[in-house]
Amino acid sequence: MKNNLYLFFLLTVIATPIIFQSCDDESIPSYIAFDPYEYATLDDDGGTWNPNVMTSPSQIGIPSPTAVNSPEYQAELSALKTASAQLTGEQANAVEYWAGDGLVRWNEIARELAAKYNLAPAPDSAGNYPAPNPANPSKYPLFPFAHPPYASRAFAYWASTQYDALIATWHHKYAFNRPAPYATDATIVTHLPKNALPSYPSDGAVIAAVSQASLTALFPLEKDFLAEKAAEHKNSLIWAGVNVQSDITAGDSLGRAVWNIFKGRLGSDGFKFAQTPKPISDSIRDAAEARWGWHWVNQETPPRPVGITPLFGKVKLWNVPNVEEVRPGPPPAPGSLEFEPYAKELRDIADNLTKDQRRVANFWSDGLGTYTPAGHWNRFASNEIIKNRLNPLRAARVFAYLNMAMGDAGIACWDAKYFYHYPRPIQTIPGFKTILGTPNFPSYTSGHSTFSYAAAEVLSHFFPEDAGTFTVWADEASISRMYGGIHYRFDIEAGKQAGLLIGEHTINVAIVDGGE
Amino acid sequence: MKKILPFGCSLLFTISLVTSLKSQTPTDAIMMSKGLICVAVVYTNDTWDEYWEGELLRVNGNVGTLTRQTIMPMATLGIGERFNIIAALPWAKTESSGGQIAGTSGLQDWGFWLKGTAIDAEIGPGSLTLHGTAGITGPASNYLADYGPYSLGLGCADGTLRGILQYKLNMGVYLRGQAGYHLRGNARAERDYYYTTHGVYSDKIDMPDAVSWGATLGTWLFNNSLKVEANYGGFNSLDGHDIRRQDVGFPSNEMINTTIGGGLQYYFPGIQGFGFVLSAHQVLTGRNVGKSTAYSAGVTYFFPVWKTDETEPIEN
Repeated sequence: MKNNLYLFFLLTVIATPIIFQSCDDESIPSYIAFDPYEYATLDDDGGTWNPNVMTSPSQIGIPSPTAVNSPEYQAELSALKTASAQLTGEQANAVEYWAGDGLVRWNEIARELAAKYNLAPAPDSAGNYPAPNPANPSKYPLFPFAHPPYASRAFAYWASTQYDALIATWHHKYAFNRPAPYATDATIVTHLPKNALPSYPSDGAVIAAVSQASLTALFPLEKDFLAEKAAEHKNSLIWAGVNVQSDITAGDSLGRAVWNIFKGRLGSDGFKFAQTPKPISDSIRDAAEARWGWHWVNQETPPRPVGITPLFGKVKLWNVPNVEEVRPGPPPAPGSLEFEPYAKELRDIADNLTKDQRRVANFWSDGLGTYTPAGHWNRFASNEIIKNRLNPLRAARVFAYLNMAMGDAGIACWDAKYFYHYPRPIQTIPGFKTILGTPNFPSYTSGHSTFSYAAAEVLSHFFPEDAGTFTVWADEASISRMYGGIHYRFDIEAGKQAGLLIGEHTINVAIVDGGE
Repeated sequence: MKKILPFGCSLLFTISLVTSLKSQTPTDAIMMSKGLICVAVVYTNDTWDEYWEGELLRVNGNVGTLTRQTIMPMATLGIGERFNIIAALPWAKTESSGGQIAGTSGLQDWGFWLKGTAIDAEIGPGSLTLHGTAGITGPASNYLADYGPYSLGLGCADGTLRGILQYKLNMGVYLRGQAGYHLRGNARAERDYYYTTHGVYSDKIDMPDAVSWGATLGTWLFNNSLKVEANYGGFNSLDGHDIRRQDVGFPSNEMINTTIGGGLQYYFPGIQGFGFVLSAHQVLTGRNVGKSTAYSAGVTYFFPVWKTDETEPIEN
């Protein structure tokens, strides 16, 4: 008997790690790995495309590069040759991580920051909610609170700046026509796929500089982290053997200068008034009550006195002429005969929730602590960019129109939300419980639907072969809000109509920008 | 050799964990004799209205009081004189008094343990025993582990090895210490991105391993019909992350607690094989867990499954 026991323990001790090895995955990824790729096209006319905010591709000048046969350039080549000849493990990892231009990686970093800062302020002991203060970002609650409007706006600035900056980059690349270092000196060891793009200024350095500057403005507490990332990215271009230092220096200064143009827009787009004080928030509520006979009330304990950004609907739009153009008609009055079937539908869903409905609700929840719906669609766009091996200019074009569309979607949706001030299901349906947390803003229209259909429309334009998938995702993202118990069907339908219209407005600008 | 406790019922000890979660594990030194089975059903009511967000003890008006009720059927079978098998399958239900998040209910984690006697020696005025258990638990339904305090369980496989050392005086008083190591597999979310201290692009949740431990002082009274004991114990995740300010709890949080409790187990002298158990536990300190107060009540019944030469007559 004693022997049996020892045998049993021995077997258990041996077997347990084996059992767990099979289900305990050591490599749960914290970023999306992909192989650096050769660009499908180079778009050598890219320097003639129309920027969105810059007045022209040549608006910002950069110094002429030294000639390839100059001693200065030869010295740079020689330094590059030494730097790329032998990489440490860390350097090789950095080259692979940034994969050259680094645009999708910076998009991932932007998503990461959106998720990190997407936490609502906690109430203090007196039951009051302090607000983040951009003038003192490190004092709790940290600035920013990257809720869906904030995140959509952040992505829009990051992406549209990249696009304008890369049009300018292409302009200068082809104006100066400095060949890649490895084209001049074939003995340089490279660690990335080669391409025939002129190398001055470095597109990677432009992307790093724009990302660092824009994301630091939007997430000021990440200044050091972003500086470190940008430095590593720029160094990775040297380690990879694809850019000399003067390519990088020129790209860096071009990127910063383009951001300075966008910075002016960021400071004056009206966002700073969006998170209103309580008296203004109350007056918006009272106006809705007077007009419609209903108003939304936050249901948290203690109640949050002001919803998320009541005046975000007044923020400057990117491509939609005005919010009224895409604002839907009014929803049915709460408690009306017309309203009741919609409420019943939500009760029925909640009472009979299937496992698949639960999964859909959770998969698309994109709530607090996540990169928000706009981040989710940026992730899809990144995957498409990698799949289609887009060069950074063309990739930035996708990101720019996608994110300007979602920026406009956020603005238009928030206009409707506070214009109609419609109560959430937990306010109108007595005793209603939900599997998702109800957000701190009115119900009509659904942000998920507006964001998702605008995004699907734009991505379908750029990647028509996957249009069907984008539509399925937009449908799923939208219906997920009903499964979660936080939106009525009419919220979703109105959001869909607005989202599709916003997508069309955006595409109408894209098709005449020269990049079709 | 003297039988340890021919009429005791080995029970699982329920660890009150997490903002919500629980696990159960055998921690006592009782062995069922060969051929004898003990079946039990224990109901537990566990509530908290404060929890630790990281190290900050707080209330949350959108949760109010969280109540978790568990009904746990279990069985312990003596398959050898020094060798028991234990199985359990709890059903749980969660709900909160505040907020509008729906509670949930369903089967939690099945559990299966092997328990053996490594040392059983008479020393001085009593006996020293060392028991070992090896067990595995895992989700018995597809409950959502990523459901904050409402989740039915941690959603991961948990393989635990535990040692249980006890010295029991012949007069009935005993002192016991136990400690176990929990090797934990991944839990699963229904989304493929979440943020811990960094973003994670997976629906898999890497669960940190953990240790749990406890000390118990108890005694048998009234001719071995009543057992009374007090215990102190704890649970420590060996890694993991804090709940960020105003964020929702997550399965891979660094969960730590210490608990004090007491209980009794009684066997009716006249009714062969029947008994009941009562216990209460209070979480004293914690990190990323609820400050739970839990009460349990259950009935036990043991009877011979098969007759062997070694099966002793049951006499209460």
